[in-house]
Amino acid sequence: MQETGIPAGAMLFLAVKNLVQEKTRLLISVGGVAFSVLLIMSIQGLYQGWSNKIGEYIRTVPADYWVTQTGATDMFHTPSVLPLTVRDFLTGVEGVASAKPFSGRRVAFDHNGKDINLYIIADDVENNVGAPARVVEGKAVPERGEIIIDAVVGRSENIRIGDTIPVAGRTLKVAGYSEGGYILSFSFAFATKDDAESILQLPGATNFFLVTVKDGTATGEVASRIEADPAVDAITKDRFVENNTNIVRDTFLPIILVLLLIGIAVGMTVIGLTIFTSTIEKAREYGVLKAIGVSNRQLYTVVVEQAVTAAVLGYALGAGLAVVISAAAGQYVPEFITEIRWFDAGWIFAVTVAMAVVSSLLPVRRLAHIDPAEVFRA
Amino acid sequence: MNVVSVQDVSKTFGAGHTAVLAVDHVSLDVDAGDIVLVMGPSGSGKTTLLSMIGTLMSPTAGRVLISGQDISVLSAAQLSRLRLQEFGFVFQTFNLLSALTAEENVMMPLLTAGVSRKHARVKARASLEKLQLGHRLRNLPKDLSGGEKQRVAIARSLANDPRLILADEPTANLDAKTGQDVTLLLCETACRENRAVIIVSHDQRLRTAAKRVITIEDGRLTTEEGGQHDLHCRMHAGAGLP
Repeated sequence: MQETGIPAGAMLFLAVKNLVQEKTRLLISVGGVAFSVLLIMSIQGLYQGWSNKIGEYIRTVPADYWVTQTGATDMFHTPSVLPLTVRDFLTGVEGVASAKPFSGRRVAFDHNGKDINLYIIADDVENNVGAPARVVEGKAVPERGEIIIDAVVGRSENIRIGDTIPVAGRTLKVAGYSEGGYILSFSFAFATKDDAESILQLPGATNFFLVTVKDGTATGEVASRIEADPAVDAITKDRFVENNTNIVRDTFLPIILVLLLIGIAVGMTVIGLTIFTSTIEKAREYGVLKAIGVSNRQLYTVVVEQAVTAAVLGYALGAGLAVVISAAAGQYVPEFITEIRWFDAGWIFAVTVAMAVVSSLLPVRRLAHIDPAEVFRA
Repeated sequence: MNVVSVQDVSKTFGAGHTAVLAVDHVSLDVDAGDIVLVMGPSGSGKTTLLSMIGTLMSPTAGRVLISGQDISVLSAAQLSRLRLQEFGFVFQTFNLLSALTAEENVMMPLLTAGVSRKHARVKARASLEKLQLGHRLRNLPKDLSGGEKQRVAIARSLANDPRLILADEPTANLDAKTGQDVTLLLCETACRENRAVIIVSHDQRLRTAAKRVITIEDGRLTTEEGGQHDLHCRMHAGAGLP
């Protein structure tokens, strides 16, 4: 007597019927999973959105290399101050096409009792360095005594074009809104080179040099030649973007991991409990199925399919809510910058299904102990 | 070859001084077309015997052969397959799946056996119509009367064309007339199709359907006599069905 292949359709049919029979329980399990998915997807979307934003501006800066003071790896964690004379050295390096100073630093000012953090960048029109990535309103290039701030900050803090703000002992007039420069607790802002120099207080110095290499030159060799000077490091553009993006990763990854675990725990508990109670309530029916010839394996399939079906429905609801809520929240809370990628939707789906499969282990264990002979008891 | 051969089977529950001998050296052969009524007082071992024949319980001693195959050598999966293909079960409490309609309940063994949904539906529908339930196909068990539920259970038990039908107190949860009518319907259907039926019941009126009546007391098979079997082994027109 050989066991033939399991007709999966038959079991899925029963699994779905069992699920929809108990509408309240279905609602609880789907709702629990949806909550988990919403939580995980929203926080992942925020993480991705902020990561992209921070990289977005730096990617627009025209440079093959960011040359920093030795040991400085990014714009925020480690200070980098280089004498302007380094430019002469850099332009003399074989293969270097241009070397332009790039200056900027974080400054804070009080606005309506709240600290606003800006990363002021010197907009050096002469050298074509330090311009905003995109200006969405107002002037594209600030004049002396003016500043261009990020639209997110302008809208969320109600700082309008034409308003003045105090920056490092000076008063600057907001001349325009730029986009793509809002990063977590601060945002990029752009002032003229002269204003920036007086704010940044870097006489005869700058923070970085933006180096471009000549066409056809091996970039690795140019970096080695630059780093022959022990006072400087040459960091590729991609690496520099990554180093700066890590600020988001370092800040958010632990939070994401905790929320991910909470989401998984909530989802697993809800699915596990609802499917378990359903299995206990239907123990007699499962006994009947065993008696009429449904194998243990087929019954396990029913329970796992019930859990997975609830999880897939919960995922669809949670993912839908995450997309809608993210979009709506972005309208009302400009800082809420999210990006939900297909890749993230994919791994969250995989986690959801895995969560359902694991949570059905307990009910499956219960099923294994159901005695089909019990069906003869009245 | 016998459909069922029970050879000197015993079943003991528990061990030591708390051991209870539920079935005591029972032997019984059942052939195709047989309708065997197993009677006896409560606790006499009838249902235990039925469970062992139905491969839901293993004997402590002796052998049970189904179509010549010793079931003690079969794996759990093989026993499941055997039950699916060879047996039909009718229970005292109907035991229909509450989430499924009458039609779907009958489809379930067919789907489990690998029959396509389309063919399973056609067969279930035909079977229920034969039992005068064509108007109740889409009803859930909670919307059916006791007699209707038991007829759905009969249709389910016959779905995979089993060689043996095992019925445990099929009349117990029905009023007297409905219980008798439904059981006679089961016996007639099985008899007409040359299937073997073993019925465990207290209901003396079922003697009219049985070809053989066996009495069990204290786990022992005490008497075997002929039944009245005045069935015509063909379907009634359906009038008066519960």
